[in-house]
Amino acid sequence: MIQHLLDEHAQTNAICHINPITKLTLGIGTLIITLISPSPVIPILSAIFLSGTIIFIAKIPGHFFFKLLLIPAGFTIISVTTIILLTGGDTILWQMPLTSWLILTISIEGIEKSIQILARVLGGTISLLFISLTIPFTDIIQIMNRIKVPQELTDLMTILYRNIFVLLSQATQIHAAQVMRLGYSHPKEATESFAMLCGSLFISSWNAGDDLIRAMDCRCYNGKFAPLTQVNPVHWRSMIPVILVLAFLASSLFIIKGGITQ
Amino acid sequence: MTPLEDATDAILVADNLSFTYPGGQTALNGVSFSIRRNAKIALVGANGAGKSTLLLMFNGMLRPVSGEIRYHGEKLTYTRTNLREIRRRIGFVFQDPDRQIIAPTVWQDVAFGPVNLDMPSDQVNQVVLTALHQVGLEGFERRPPHLLSGGEKKRVAIAGILAMDPEVLILDEPTSTLDPAGSEDIMDLLEELHHQGKTIIISTHDVELAYSWADTIILMERGEIIASGTPEQAFADKELVRRARLRNPVIVELYTELIRRGMHDNLQMPRSVLDMIRIIECDRHGGMQLNIHGCGKIHVLDIAHTNQATLESILEKYQIRTLGAMGSRAKICARQWGIIPDYTYAVIDKCILHAMNGRASLILTSGGMVVRALERIREFNKENNRSIEVITEIKSHMAETIPGNQAGD
Repeated sequence: MIQHLLDEHAQTNAICHINPITKLTLGIGTLIITLISPSPVIPILSAIFLSGTIIFIAKIPGHFFFKLLLIPAGFTIISVTTIILLTGGDTILWQMPLTSWLILTISIEGIEKSIQILARVLGGTISLLFISLTIPFTDIIQIMNRIKVPQELTDLMTILYRNIFVLLSQATQIHAAQVMRLGYSHPKEATESFAMLCGSLFISSWNAGDDLIRAMDCRCYNGKFAPLTQVNPVHWRSMIPVILVLAFLASSLFIIKGGITQ
Repeated sequence: MTPLEDATDAILVADNLSFTYPGGQTALNGVSFSIRRNAKIALVGANGAGKSTLLLMFNGMLRPVSGEIRYHGEKLTYTRTNLREIRRRIGFVFQDPDRQIIAPTVWQDVAFGPVNLDMPSDQVNQVVLTALHQVGLEGFERRPPHLLSGGEKKRVAIAGILAMDPEVLILDEPTSTLDPAGSEDIMDLLEELHHQGKTIIISTHDVELAYSWADTIILMERGEIIASGTPEQAFADKELVRRARLRNPVIVELYTELIRRGMHDNLQMPRSVLDMIRIIECDRHGGMQLNIHGCGKIHVLDIAHTNQATLESILEKYQIRTLGAMGSRAKICARQWGIIPDYTYAVIDKCILHAMNGRASLILTSGGMVVRALERIREFNKENNRSIEVITEIKSHMAETIPGNQAGD
């Protein structure tokens, strides 16, 4: 299951011990640069660099990473095609009037714009994947605690994160039991089976909630959740490369911007 | 049934407990017994016999409809502060660790109790480390529970309770979801905790496990206690055992069948394979010893005073082919040294068996367990007029402080 694997990689990758702030700086920094860059070159540079980091430094299996990248691929292809066909421009390469008010046009400007958007989507997705593949969720909660996100919210997230996997395995079991008894062989049965799955999952999460309260009572719950163990401090050996990369991307951003305004 | 008047050193007393679920179904009906300090108690009964209900009453999770529970002679009251105190002193480990583990990392989960008991943060760190050390899970601090194996999850659940330093440990069906090796590891851990002075109560329907592990067994059927006492007493009445929808342990059946076939009644039922062999040897007026060199030697090694090289040289020098690891520390050491122990549960018994058969063996263990191994073997020698030699590889100044070490070199 892809969710399980995503979390497992986040918890066990080769750079999971590095301070989350360092990794978050890199992830969010590249994300911002990617989004404000007027040229497709910088997002692609950032994408190549982050992919390299994910595969070769964090040691996340390449095939798994590419499989994750395929998730937004279908969506991206549809949007980019639409943009190419609907954006008008001066240099028209191809034109086809469908109706009096809808004319499909392919122009140089349209292609340029779509390449720009494709690069942004790719760069942005990879930045987010970098964050979710290398930073354990528990570390993210810890950062939230540090930047004073309300305790109630982070406690809820903690319980949610813990129980998601318990419920997920329950859903898998119910689904398997249904498939074994041919529950999904026809569309009508499939709908009914799915409704049943949702129903029993709801009941079991209700019970899980009761059990959770009991377990917490049993262990003297008094309104507190233990904060996570201290993580490794920010280390210059990992922070300096991050800053250098961001500086490189940002300065190329300025050079390109300068080039455009001239 | 243990008479209430006899219970002077009783730590927990159940006095005429009855409980009815809101649906009207009676779960307990006039249950009374008392539990000594540092006892190993097994509640044995079929599904639905009321074991879990009874256990949940001990830490105030369920309140009896009538009757009372006394802890250290004081009646259990159900005020908020008192319940907190009771739940700290009487730790409860649920059957399903997934239902007990609350937090998304091992460290956070074990720290849950201590944090809620308002311990300062360095003390929390300290007790969490100690608890993880006790169950042999150091280095697992940052692991999320959903990526652990069943046995590891169980250990996390136990560590979470140990972190609150309870006096009594209650475990509901501790081995029901584990494979045989995992079950043995957990039972060995309970043995170790018992040795550290904890009172341990488990519920189970595994008669073999209860029979060999517990010192007191309580048989339950439909919310009532039908027999209690030492394992031999509890399983003495076949009719009761059948009524409780259980069966007799294999060793008891074997013994009964041998008696029927003319073996002398030893007047004491065997608890283990070792006991059985002793009884048979007694009956034959002589050993079934196969080796002309007499008894084999048992080496006892403390991991605190040894390393991989020493261990390997000893194994080589004395031609030892059987190695047992006793306690979680020793097991971790063995794993780190790349050695797979032959025995990880009931190690002393198994090594004595080997010695009786003229073969040498080695017990790898640590701390107070060394003394226990030595005492146990010495006791066995005395009771059976044997001379199994124990060799402890402990530094000389340590050896003097250990009672019963005269058997060593």
